[in-house]
Amino acid sequence: MTYRSQRVAYAYFLAALVLFALQVCFGFLTLAKYLGPDPLRDVMNFATTKAVHTNLLLVWILTGFMGATYYMVPEESRTELWSERIAWGQLALWLAVGVITVVGYLFGWTTGRKFLEMPTVLKVGVVIVMVMFLVNIVQTIRRAGRFTTTEGVLVGGLAAVALLFIPAFIVFDNYTLDRFYRWWVVHLWVEGVWELVMGAILAFLLIRLSGADREVMEKWLYVIVGLTFLSGILGTGHHYYWIGTPRYWLWVGGVFSALEPLAFLGMAAYAYNTIRRSGLAHPNSIALHWTIGAAVLATIGAGLLGLAHTWPQVNRWTHGTHITTMHGHLAFFGAYSMIVLAIISYALPGLTGRDEAETQTSLGLWAFWLMTGGIFGMTMAMGAAGIGQTYLERILGFGYLEAQKKIQVHYVMWFATAIVFASGVGAYIWDFVRAGAPRSVPAAAPARDLRVPA
Amino acid sequence: MTKATTRRFFFGGTIVFTAVFIAMTIHTHMTIAERTHADRLTEEVVRGLHVWGRYNCENCHTLLGEGAYYAPDLTQIVAQRGRPYLTAFMADPSKFYSEERDGRLMPTLGLSDPEIQEVISFLEWVGGIDTNGWPPRPILVSGAAPRGMPYVEGSLTSDDAVTRGKALFDGAAACATCHSRTQGLTQIGPTLAGIATTAADRLADPAYRGAAKTAEEYLRESILKPNAHVVTGGTYAAPDGTSLMPSTYDRTLEPDAVDDLVAYLATLQ
Ligand code: HEC
Ligand code: HEC
Ligand code: HEM
Ligand code: HEM
Ligand SMILES: [Fe+2]
Repeated sequence: MTYRSQRVAYAYFLAALVLFALQVCFGFLTLAKYLGPDPLRDVMNFATTKAVHTNLLLVWILTGFMGATYYMVPEESRTELWSERIAWGQLALWLAVGVITVVGYLFGWTTGRKFLEMPTVLKVGVVIVMVMFLVNIVQTIRRAGRFTTTEGVLVGGLAAVALLFIPAFIVFDNYTLDRFYRWWVVHLWVEGVWELVMGAILAFLLIRLSGADREVMEKWLYVIVGLTFLSGILGTGHHYYWIGTPRYWLWVGGVFSALEPLAFLGMAAYAYNTIRRSGLAHPNSIALHWTIGAAVLATIGAGLLGLAHTWPQVNRWTHGTHITTMHGHLAFFGAYSMIVLAIISYALPGLTGRDEAETQTSLGLWAFWLMTGGIFGMTMAMGAAGIGQTYLERILGFGYLEAQKKIQVHYVMWFATAIVFASGVGAYIWDFVRAGAPRSVPAAAPARDLRVPA
Repeated sequence: MTKATTRRFFFGGTIVFTAVFIAMTIHTHMTIAERTHADRLTEEVVRGLHVWGRYNCENCHTLLGEGAYYAPDLTQIVAQRGRPYLTAFMADPSKFYSEERDGRLMPTLGLSDPEIQEVISFLEWVGGIDTNGWPPRPILVSGAAPRGMPYVEGSLTSDDAVTRGKALFDGAAACATCHSRTQGLTQIGPTLAGIATTAADRLADPAYRGAAKTAEEYLRESILKPNAHVVTGGTYAAPDGTSLMPSTYDRTLEPDAVDDLVAYLATLQ
């Protein structure tokens, strides 16, 4: 790594991967309850394991974003971090809040509002973390006096993530309003400001991995994030069809959310063009796989599978079925998990003081293909379950429980493909661990002179 | 196109669409009270919303189609099932469902009696929200259709009272979630296989308490005043003897709909 303080990123990445592994474990626990009798019903019921699964997801992705920022900002602004101490303190507090949240759920300490289940005191902890983070980053950039567009989009996105967390604090008496503002967080995060973070990391990686021209890349980055907000803000309306809000949201939400895939298509075109111009010659081929993979799978999972059920005439039948589960998994994984894994793979050689070519293990490539193949299979299984459920329960009028019995086989397929996926996660983590602990290497001395034979 | 142009596109677009979004939000706020009949939003309902959150119901169930997919949507549940049954169910779901038969079972969450009433009041209030017609067809917990497809096009508007009655039974009135029409298959209420004949037997029974004189009157009375005579056995009544059948059909069903249902039931010989 170029700057000593970038080493904090390693700790964030390690934490993110541990939480990812736990998320997957809770995914299995949750899915198992679909398959048959649930011996843990009175200890850890579905609602508990599912909330743990989705909250761990949010926590590890955000941990990854923070690590990515602590890695990227020194490079972009060519400086050490303003305060490494704050970065460590922030990580400690963040993990403490995360662990208390999850353990709290296991003991029933929850507000039970999907994705925002955290009790209020802990949400205050999140805000403190965000403030520490933003202050540290802004101070770093101010001190350096060098500020790139990529960095601007990244930091602007993160600040907006913090700002949009505010509605999560408000308690409503009217359930319709409770839903209305829940989406200000959930939708405006994943289909708004998180896309800025993703776009910035993607631009950073494409510039580094292909040597593309920064001016051109940053010009298009503005187009991509411009399209995101142009469609995504009013696109929130695709959650306002059936919750008690006025009818005009049907067409406003329909039309604008149908434009949302453009931003993802933009990212895919962006990746494709850079590769076409500059080739795939970069020695860190694993990072390149994850980067291109993110652009492609986000387009399929968020863009295509989102579009599939966003139109009100379709959504009225599929709303709240496994069609949503299918889209939620591939969108989250394709867009946000893959971009975090991409920056980890990109940063790892530098952080551990290794030569890039040397970290290109076949295990690393296996991890990519097992996870990609696995999530693809899971998506198919959930899609089949969702179509079956929609048809039997919503269209033919079977009872919910009878329809569930008829789609059992798809849960079995989901489980089987999830095993493939999980083996990819295992491979990735093992590969990460094998790369060794972080080492800072004086810029002048090549890494290989200091290395102990592995 | 230069970077300055695309930057303007980004900032300009963001500002314009944020402004439009905020304006629409303000307008939406002005309609909410009426669309959700906020006058019926009592303190009990608000407490029910917090019960709903505290017990994490949303991470198994959907409500207005939002939540998790492990358990049925509850948007219309109070209209479909009625308070007496839901009270008994919430206290102990295993009285009505089993993992062996139904594939999964809601855990006994240990709600107190007031909490049960509060959460039911909350669900009842949600059931009255104007959802722009969602769900387009009733979503039922169980029972219903394997035996009869309720949504044959036009059946609710048919000229034939029996056809209309059957469509109501399976669909909008949701009787089928509690009553099978198969001999020996008891759901929550007694099977209605042969109810036209059973009705006559009920009247002849010296234990009969109601006011009906004919089989048809008995059917009508069963729908409109379930407590006029409570059939014994099964899980038909709460410990205090009140019927678990909803006692609200005299308010929620149009008189014509009741006629149609009676006409249909009278064909079940
Ligand atoms: C662990 C998952 C889980 C949780 C948590 C849960 N439920 Fe359920 N619920 C179910 C399942 C599964 C069913 C379907 C019936 C069955 O198989 O037991 C159900 C059915 C119901 C029904 C319909 C019963 C019927 O026969 O019509 C109601 C009403 C209900 N739940 C209310 C609630 C409320 C209120 C809460 C929160 C206080 C809640 N549930 C929490 C799993 C859950
Ligand atoms: C929550 C479950 C539930 C629903 C929904 C329900 N019932 Fe019932 N029904 C019962 C129970 C329990 C009984 C037996 C206790 C009693 O006599 O009230 C019963 C009894 C009856 C009887 C008398 C049966 C007999 O053997 O004498 C008729 C007829 C009947 N219901 C018709 C209907 C119709 C029509 C509807 C739909 C409009 C309906 N029920 C909806 C639970 C339900
Ligand atoms: C990376 C981007 C995206 C992610 C991570 C994502 C994730 C999710 C998740 C988790 C849900 C369930 C939310 C809940 O019920 O609380 C959801 C719902 C939904 N998403 Fe996305 N999404 C993304 C992009 C999109 C896009 C671009 C579209 C449209 C083109 C879209 C359309 C929808 C629709 C219509 C629903 C509602 C489903 C229902 O009615 O049940 N999504 N999404
Ligand atoms: C071994 C792998 C996994 C398994 C077995 C699994 C299983 C599950 C199950 C059973 C649910 C509950 C669905 C419901 O509400 O009924 C769920 C929800 C969810 N999972 Fe996973 N999961 C896995 C991996 C992942 C990954 C990798 C991601 C994202 C990167 C993810 C994101 C989500 C999201 C966003 C939801 C909420 C979806 C919604 O409500 O629509 N899961 N998962
Ligand atoms: Fe959305």
